[in-house]
Amino acid sequence: MTDSRSHIARRDPATVMRLSRLGSLHQCRLSFMRQLTRRMANEGWTFSRPVFNIDDAGVGHAVYSAHGPERAYSLVAFAHDLPPEQRSDRVIAEAWDATFTLFDGVPTNEDIDRLSQNVPLQEAGRVSESELSLSRANRSVRLWAHVVDRLATGQQPDLEQIYKVGYLMRTTAVYGSGKFGAADREKTGNRPETNAPFQTEMLSVYLTRTFVRDLVQHMAQVKGGDATAKLDADIARWLGIGNSTGLGMAPFIVNHPILFNNWIMVREEAISRVRSIETASAEEDRAFREIFERSKLSMSWWHSEHPVQIKKLAALNADLSSISTYLSQEKLQHDYPWDRLVRWSETALSQEGQELVASLILEPYGDLVDGLSSCMADSNSGAHVINGAMPVTEVRSLFDQSFGWAMDLDWTAPENCARAWYVSEEKLEPRLGERFKEPIAEYEQPLAPARDAVRAQKALAEWDGEALIAEFLLRHPEHRHAVRRAQMATVAPYGEIHDNTISADVLPIDMLRAKLSFFGATHFDPRSDRWVRICMYSGAPYPEDLIRENADLWVYPEVQK
Amino acid sequence: MSFSLNEVEATAKRAARGAGYAWGIAEEAGKATRWLCAQGLDGPAELAKLLDMGFAGSLDQHMPQDLTADWVGEKDLCPLTCGAALSDYAKKWQADPLHLRRVAVPLLLLPLVANAVKCQNAVATITTDGINAVTDGTHLSCSDVDMSRADHVTVSTGGTLETTRPKQTRATPDPASWDVLTNFAFRTYAPATEQSRLLGAGAGLSDND
Repeated sequence: MTDSRSHIARRDPATVMRLSRLGSLHQCRLSFMRQLTRRMANEGWTFSRPVFNIDDAGVGHAVYSAHGPERAYSLVAFAHDLPPEQRSDRVIAEAWDATFTLFDGVPTNEDIDRLSQNVPLQEAGRVSESELSLSRANRSVRLWAHVVDRLATGQQPDLEQIYKVGYLMRTTAVYGSGKFGAADREKTGNRPETNAPFQTEMLSVYLTRTFVRDLVQHMAQVKGGDATAKLDADIARWLGIGNSTGLGMAPFIVNHPILFNNWIMVREEAISRVRSIETASAEEDRAFREIFERSKLSMSWWHSEHPVQIKKLAALNADLSSISTYLSQEKLQHDYPWDRLVRWSETALSQEGQELVASLILEPYGDLVDGLSSCMADSNSGAHVINGAMPVTEVRSLFDQSFGWAMDLDWTAPENCARAWYVSEEKLEPRLGERFKEPIAEYEQPLAPARDAVRAQKALAEWDGEALIAEFLLRHPEHRHAVRRAQMATVAPYGEIHDNTISADVLPIDMLRAKLSFFGATHFDPRSDRWVRICMYSGAPYPEDLIRENADLWVYPEVQK
Repeated sequence: MSFSLNEVEATAKRAARGAGYAWGIAEEAGKATRWLCAQGLDGPAELAKLLDMGFAGSLDQHMPQDLTADWVGEKDLCPLTCGAALSDYAKKWQADPLHLRRVAVPLLLLPLVANAVKCQNAVATITTDGINAVTDGTHLSCSDVDMSRADHVTVSTGGTLETTRPKQTRATPDPASWDVLTNFAFRTYAPATEQSRLLGAGAGLSDND
């Protein structure tokens, strides 16, 4: 990933890996949704709907197949009649408006029979090695009713309401990688179309969006009969799929330091490459300005009622004005224009604005950036193996490198260890509790790498620097996980969060946003400090309309001239 | 029942933690159990045998006393703790064979020795009471064995991978052993309280908006 053109270095992990910055990341060209739609368009994937068997009550099943160059994948969707009192986005829910699985290939009737007895049960059912994901979705009750009622009376839904909510259904969990009996990632990890992270999950959500559009039309038809209007394609395009994400996603980025490093490092490498461009063409300048204007329009539809995000959005809106002013005064063609823009953003904008700029400058440079996406998967299967021959002194410096900032923190002060991550026996839901107020400490999960690194570093202080770490670990197995992480940092400099994940003021939504931004999510709407709703695929072409020309920049709405 | 290898690893890791092992050792237990399943061996059954022995509370008695001689403990050696040391400490057995005396569930040593040889593109032979197992880290040549303990295990470099076991992508563990693991894993889950239900996930219980 080094390139002779890059002379402006990647940003320092100590800057990038702060939680407040990770909680300000925006989607970019490297996002997993955009990788998928680009690939499907470039490879000329075709799509079919072999089954749509939904009754007048909205109950039944449907199959949507995506055919790539070598293989097909099918979403098997089950629609249910859910009593409102059961509609919960929590993991502990037991029924949903719709349930799904992504099938590897095209399912037979026997497969569908088997799946119909398991997929609607979600965690309480079992799927097999033929299935790649398991997911469910709930309606946005208000928007669903609005769209059905309007169409049934021969009218189109109100676009303002669609912009405001963004989706008709939101997924409340998308499980992949071997969960509940599904195929392990290893089954698909070597296929070109599913090598990049989360491609099966992104495909599942993409097809889910099409199913939801068809289902709402079907339900309107049941209600309105001959008077029913067909949902206008230009309106349907702005219907994305929502996602409601809770704490379950936060441990993921701590538990997969190599994978998370690869995402961040690739984005940082892309930013570094673009900043290192000395001269931009007039066309690149124009392309950036156009994307910025379109991005502003998307931001204008972003609302939140959460105090933290309200404050961040106010700052972001001020940032957008500042960027507009900068762009009206500066040409972006000479004297390292992108580096100048980034440096200016660091002095003039909030972190929301800085990270928006960092994502947007990549847009004119697909040739320079998109190839990096092949480095985002975790192919380093041996990274967990501890190098026991490493001397203690070297491990000490690795701890300092990743956690130097944490060494002087008083880890016994209540505010620095106020929280504990644990798993509830109730459907194994991950939760965050108050260490000093709830009986949870003995169930604590190892999700405070900084604290654990400091503990290990203290224990190492009594050891001879020349001793092998293997000797230390035999006597101190309690520090084994911390040493493993420290050694991983040698290949994953962006693998550790440089903040305290158990402090009294930690905001888990920052961890959720970091991950979701790489999916390509937009319109982050925190509902509390540990739960966020987002929008996916809003603006994307539906399968029948997907072509190269619209496969990439759909995330930025076109500004009406 | 057919399980994914991810499920095996996750359950084994939680079970080892639930049985009292440190997180770092529990991580090794997860990977080791998965590796055995990928070789077509019943990894969960092996781990269940070990966890039922309840070593974690008195690990000092199940660790080698002196690393400069044959590895022998006050009581039967713990294969997870010793296996982790064999993985970390490949130097100890690369030049000369290393002998371990009185080892519990010796099959669990294989995946951890495999870690070390895979990193070095080498081959290792593990002889357990006269039965040879050979691995290059990825493949394993070994007959079906079912041992709760061995009097004498030798670990050495070299050996010939003859008939390797066909690799598996799924596991069908013995149901009783799987239950043992899930019961140990259950000890890592906090009992649900009304407070944790309402506050712990930071979300309400209804989403009718």
